[in-house]
Amino acid sequence: MKRRLMQILDGSSPDIFSKIVEWMITVVVLTNCAAVVFDSVPEIHAEHKEFFHELEFWSVMFFTTEYILRSWCYGARYSKEEGGAWRGRKEYMFSFFGLVDFFATAPFYVHFIFPYLDLRVLRVLRLLRILKLSKYNTALQDLFHAVASEKKAFASALFLLVIATIVSASLMYFAEGHNQPDHFGSIPICIYWSIITITSGYGNVEDLSLAGEIIALITGFLGVCMAAIMTGIVASAFSNQMSRKKAAFGQQLREALADGIVTEEEEQVLERLKRQYRLSDDTVKSMMEEIRIEKEKAEANKAAG
Amino acid sequence: MKSLQRSVYDLLEGSVQNKASRYCEIFIASVVVLNVLAIILESVHELHEAYEYYFHIFDLASVVIFSAEYVLRVWSYGVKYLEDEGDSWRGRKEYIFSFYGFIDFFGTMPFYMQLLFPGLDLRFLRLFRLMRIFKLSRYNSALSDLAEAVKTERDSFTSAMFLLLISCLLCSSLIYIAEGHLQPEVFPSIPATMKWYLLTIISGWGNVEPLSLIGTVLVILTQVLGIALAAILTGVVATAYTTQVERRQVMYEMAIREVLADGVVTEEEQNHLHQLQHQFGMSDEQVEAIARQVREENEQQQNKVAARA
Repeated sequence: MKRRLMQILDGSSPDIFSKIVEWMITVVVLTNCAAVVFDSVPEIHAEHKEFFHELEFWSVMFFTTEYILRSWCYGARYSKEEGGAWRGRKEYMFSFFGLVDFFATAPFYVHFIFPYLDLRVLRVLRLLRILKLSKYNTALQDLFHAVASEKKAFASALFLLVIATIVSASLMYFAEGHNQPDHFGSIPICIYWSIITITSGYGNVEDLSLAGEIIALITGFLGVCMAAIMTGIVASAFSNQMSRKKAAFGQQLREALADGIVTEEEEQVLERLKRQYRLSDDTVKSMMEEIRIEKEKAEANKAAG
Repeated sequence: MKSLQRSVYDLLEGSVQNKASRYCEIFIASVVVLNVLAIILESVHELHEAYEYYFHIFDLASVVIFSAEYVLRVWSYGVKYLEDEGDSWRGRKEYIFSFYGFIDFFGTMPFYMQLLFPGLDLRFLRLFRLMRIFKLSRYNSALSDLAEAVKTERDSFTSAMFLLLISCLLCSSLIYIAEGHLQPEVFPSIPATMKWYLLTIISGWGNVEPLSLIGTVLVILTQVLGIALAAILTGVVATAYTTQVERRQVMYEMAIREVLADGVVTEEEQNHLHQLQHQFGMSDEQVEAIARQVREENEQQQNKVAARA
């Protein structure tokens, strides 16, 4: 029963129950986020105070049940020899999602015990619930993976950004520091100006000298270039990651098709990988076709030999 | 003497990956970062007043460090080329007249200039001190990568710049003609209009409300051109970056092919591959995939040869 519950909550076996649970959690989370947003409008808050309170209470009950069930049934992840029930539980509790689940729910109880805490902090923590959704959507994870696998490229882009900011700020300080001490009185103030100019293209300061004017235009142009560099690096990081995923999937597919027979087990593995890598049916089909042709060619070669 | 020179060269150049050269790198990089921070903080008037003495001591210490670094580099780069490739001055000259040589020189020299001519403009000297920040690019390939990307895609860059230049001349003249007599305070001349044009291209809004119909059309056109320019630049950079990654993959594949050709992987070859991987910033998975592919190809080839025999 523990194992079954884990499969449902974990979504590791794609069946109807885990789909329903997934949908239910998603709907509750979205309702909650909408409630947090609308609750901040004073008129709506005054009018529907009771309703929001009720909603908060029941969603906390819901999330608490979810947290307890998860903690309990994740004990089934590892067998006795592998470390017992507490290994899986600990792994869940200290994972990213475990912490999110905890901190999105716990503040309610803290509020219960200490009623005079600052409400705004609690509200912000309530917004953490939206991160629960990333369990069901790999976008966040994909982003982290892309950043991690292309960290050198991102570090390079950041390095360029820092250098561009500091150099343009210092040049501006040397050019305008005398004329406008309240706008360019020191390099830290100029760094503020430089960041605004790089991000928005216009630093909101008038009456520059000719040198300052030229530096300002170059800084704005550097901003356009920085945006281009960032976009270019992110785009190619994502496409690199996609081709890497495809290569990994192709390897698995090749192994599965190697003996000419696709067993049920292999099919399940491939199905799971397909979902994990978020490949479309068409992509998989064309990859299979490619491998089949390759194999036929190899066989023909062998026959000819 | 020669061996000492050699080991100093290895230490400073970082061509041999070991702990000592790693520490040396970290040390110089941190001194540079501290220097940049000091320059930034020194420009705040109150801080400068309060801690002038410490700033001075720090600058003195870093000048000593950078001078020692420069002298050691010039001296040790003599071993870069062997006797028969040109004498020791070839390597030295190459360093002194390289980008980094200039940076190292002009980042340190102003201090001595100040000693010789005490009346020099301080701001001017600080500007030179700021050049020390470019020393960092020795330890991060971002700047050189960018330069390489611009070089390989220079055709596209030139066309983008050409487009910018032509549109700048054309649009600012047209707007000057259309709006110059209506708003003489913001469009008094074509150069002033050009400044407005560049601002609009960069930020999307040049802070001037057009008054005539033609002026409005031209302003909208300029804004659209700004988006187009950003798109062109993004495309060029993305292409350049992707080609660079692909080229590195091909280079790595060739290296692996060479290593695997004789079927034996020596330790030296392993080290070489590791260094390449580090230099190209490739992940272990990528390397594994390339190695597997090459190995499979080799096997197929051997099978073919065997079948023919």
